[in-house]
Amino acid sequence: MTDVVLETHNLTKEFIRRKGLSSPRNPFDKTVFTAVKGVELTVQRGEVFGLLGPNGAGKTTLTKMLCTLLLPSAGSAKVCGYDLARQQGKVKSKIALISSEERSFYWRLNGRQNLDFFAALHGIPKKIARQRIEEVLEIVDMTEAASRRFQEYSTGMKQRMGLARGLLADPEIFFMDEPTKGLDPIATWQFHDFIRNRLAEAGKTVIVATHHLAEAEQICDRVGIMYAGEMRASGPVKELTGDSTLSDFFRDLVEQTMVERTGN
Amino acid sequence: MLTLRKPMAFLKKDFLMEVSYRFSFVLQFASIFFSVVMFYFVAKLLGEAPSVQKSLSEYGGNYFSFVLIGIAFSNFLSVGLGSFSTNIRSEQMIGTLEAMLVTPTTLSNIVLSSSQWSFAFTSLRVGIYLLIGGLFFGVSFTGAAVLPALLALVLTVVAFSSLGIISASFIMIFKRGDPIAFAITTSSTLLGGVYYPISILPGWLQSLSYLFPITYSLRAIRLSLLQGAGFGEVGGDLLALVLFSCITLPISLVCFRFAVARAKRDGSLAHY
Repeated sequence: MTDVVLETHNLTKEFIRRKGLSSPRNPFDKTVFTAVKGVELTVQRGEVFGLLGPNGAGKTTLTKMLCTLLLPSAGSAKVCGYDLARQQGKVKSKIALISSEERSFYWRLNGRQNLDFFAALHGIPKKIARQRIEEVLEIVDMTEAASRRFQEYSTGMKQRMGLARGLLADPEIFFMDEPTKGLDPIATWQFHDFIRNRLAEAGKTVIVATHHLAEAEQICDRVGIMYAGEMRASGPVKELTGDSTLSDFFRDLVEQTMVERTGN
Repeated sequence: MLTLRKPMAFLKKDFLMEVSYRFSFVLQFASIFFSVVMFYFVAKLLGEAPSVQKSLSEYGGNYFSFVLIGIAFSNFLSVGLGSFSTNIRSEQMIGTLEAMLVTPTTLSNIVLSSSQWSFAFTSLRVGIYLLIGGLFFGVSFTGAAVLPALLALVLTVVAFSSLGIISASFIMIFKRGDPIAFAITTSSTLLGGVYYPISILPGWLQSLSYLFPITYSLRAIRLSLLQGAGFGEVGGDLLALVLFSCITLPISLVCFRFAVARAKRDGSLAHY
C-alpha cells in the first residue's frame, strides 16, 4: 500500500527584485526571477528521494518552501496531509531540516545545551526532552562529546549534531540540504549508512538535495532532476538511467535542456 | 507549564551565552558603578544652586536622585526599542534563525522570547543602579510608593516595546539603518527628561516632549520613588502611557505581520 507524505502541484517561487538605485532613472522597475517553476512532485512514506541539479537549479528554494521558510508564489503542496500555506505549524511538527550549515547552532553552548534549547522549541516537555536528548546523542555517537562546546567540534561532529537535532522530535520527513558537504569519505559513508539503515528502515521519508550524483545513486530510491527551476525528470534511478550511469543521464539531460532553451 | 517551556528555554540559553563571556559580563556591572560615580560628582558640582533646587522642586530638589532614576530607567527605553531588532538581527547573523523557524514556534514567539533576557538583565541593572545610589550615595527611597512605580514600569515596557516591534519590522525588511530607533532614542534622551527636567526646555520643546512616552514614565517613576506619590498623583501619566500603548501596540503588531509576510515572500527572512 502506498502512502503519500508529500505532494506538490504546480509549485512555483518567483523572486521580485526592484532595481532601486542601480537604475536611478527607473528605481521602481522590477525584474522577476523564477527560482522554482511548476514543480509536480509526489513522495511516498519511507522513500529516500534525491533532489538533484547543478548549483542554482532551485533545489534549496524548493526545500525551503517545503519547510515553510519561503512562501510559494503559486501552486500548492501538502506535507503529511497538511496544507503548506495554511497549516504551517502542523507541517513544522512533522518535518526536520538538516543542512550543512554548521552556523545554525550556538557555538558558545555545549552540544547538550543546544539540543535542550531546540527540544523546547519543538514543544517537547522538559522531562521527556532530557531522555530524548540522551537517546539521540547515543544514536549519533555524540554522548561523550555532548558536554563540550559546539565550537570545539570537528565538521563531522557538527554534522552529527545537526542530525541529532533533526531526530529530536521524531519527525516523519527529513529534508537534507547538501548534508555531506565538507565531510570526509568515512563520515560521508557513515551518514549514508545512517540514512539507509536507520531512517529509511524506520519508515522515515528522506528528501536529500544534492549535486553529488554518486551520493544520490547510492542512497536514493527515486530522484528528481532539476534544472533552471524546473523538474526535468523524476523516477527510480534505474528506470531513468537504463544501462547508462546517473552521471551520463544527468549530463545528457542538462545538454538537452540547454539546447531547448537556447535553440542551438 | 508547557506554555512557559519555550520562553524559559530562551531565557536559559541567553543567560548561558551571556555568562560564557565572563569578562564582558562583569564589566557591564563595573560600568554601572563608574556611571553612578560620575553623576554623583556632576550633582556635587551643581550642588545646592537655587536654580537647580527650583527646577527640581517637584522631585525633592536633589539632582543626584533625579538623574539616578533618569539614567537607570532610560535603560528600559534602549532595551525596549532595540532588543527586538537587535536580537532578530543577531540570530540572522549567527545563522540560527532558520533552524528556529523550522520548529513549531512562531516568529512572534521567537522575537518576544529572545528579548526576555535583555529585559531581565536590564531590570537587574536598574536594581543595581538604585542599590548603589541608596547604599553608597545617600539616595533615600524610604517613602517610595512601590506599586505605582511598578505599574509605571510595566506600562513603560509595553509602550517602549511597541515601538521596538515597529523597529524590528523595519530591520526584518531593510536589515540595517533603522531610523525609528535612532529618531526615538535621540529625541527621548533630548526631550524626555533623562538628565534634566523638561521644565528647563523652551515652551515649544516642552510641548514636543509630551509626544514621547519616556516623559510620562520618568515623571511617574520619579514622583513615586522619590516623593511617595500614589496612584492619584501619577494617574495622568499612567493614563498617558496606557493610551500610548493602545495606539502603538496594534500598529506594531500589524507592521510586524506585514514585515514577516514580506520577508517570507522575498526569501530574505534569514538575510542580514
